[in-house]
Amino acid sequence: MSVPNEDKMASHAQLSSHFFGDLLDSIIVDVASECHRIARLGLDRNLEEEEEELKLSAQARERVADPNNSGEANSKYVVDIFGQTHPPIASDIFECMNCHRPIMAGRFAPHLEKCMGKGRKARLKGTRSSTAAQNRHSRGSPVSTYPPYPNSTSTNQLSNGTSGVAGEEYSNGTFPES
Amino acid sequence: MRASVNRPPTPDVGDTQEKQPTLEEIINIKFIESGEKERLMELLRERLIECGWKDEMKALCRAFVKKKGRNNVTVDDLVHLITPKGRASIPDSIKAELLQRIRTFLVSAAL
Repeated sequence: MSVPNEDKMASHAQLSSHFFGDLLDSIIVDVASECHRIARLGLDRNLEEEEEELKLSAQARERVADPNNSGEANSKYVVDIFGQTHPPIASDIFECMNCHRPIMAGRFAPHLEKCMGKGRKARLKGTRSSTAAQNRHSRGSPVSTYPPYPNSTSTNQLSNGTSGVAGEEYSNGTFPES
Repeated sequence: MRASVNRPPTPDVGDTQEKQPTLEEIINIKFIESGEKERLMELLRERLIECGWKDEMKALCRAFVKKKGRNNVTVDDLVHLITPKGRASIPDSIKAELLQRIRTFLVSAAL
């Protein structure tokens, strides 16, 4: 019974090799097709640009080695290693998530201060009704003090007894000074 | 009467009826139907990517494309370029692994 088994194993080995070859051929065709696609669509950016890159890198090296451009000379516009310049104030424009106005990125922090923070106008944003009273409070108590009434959650402006109204206005958390 | 077209003689009806699918074809059908061919193809693909074989082949293609100009290349060119080198540069461990699995399949298919 050993001879037929050997035959079987030999034919198995042959079949296995054959199938393996099949799988491999399919994969080779896939790889070739993918490379062909990349070549024809020009998706391979490095192909002809290597010479250009060499030239650009040589230029950049010259610029760096040049004693005239020592970084501080171009005071406002510093050139970084990629040859890019950045304006001193970030100039991207986007929408403020609080007041929905278009704001320049470099001016965003001061804007936020006014929009939702320490600025006088910010506090007035939600309290049109008691504007006059708030004005009096803000001028009279610049230091944080304990409110005399236990039911108020925010502090500074509530020392004069209008705590009931003011507490409600700010309890939603827009007033960060607590 | 001269034959105006060179064509092989029409096979007799008897001939086609007696033709059996070869062992190879039977196995191939089982291979595909059971999904094993798909699985093994994915396994082989993964192994070849891991070991860098695919990247080597892609590099060969890119060099060829650069030399010939990207719009003058056909898929056939690339296939003929890659096939001999591709078959020769398969790592032995991967080949052994796949052959082992194929053989297991052949045995389990009760052949």
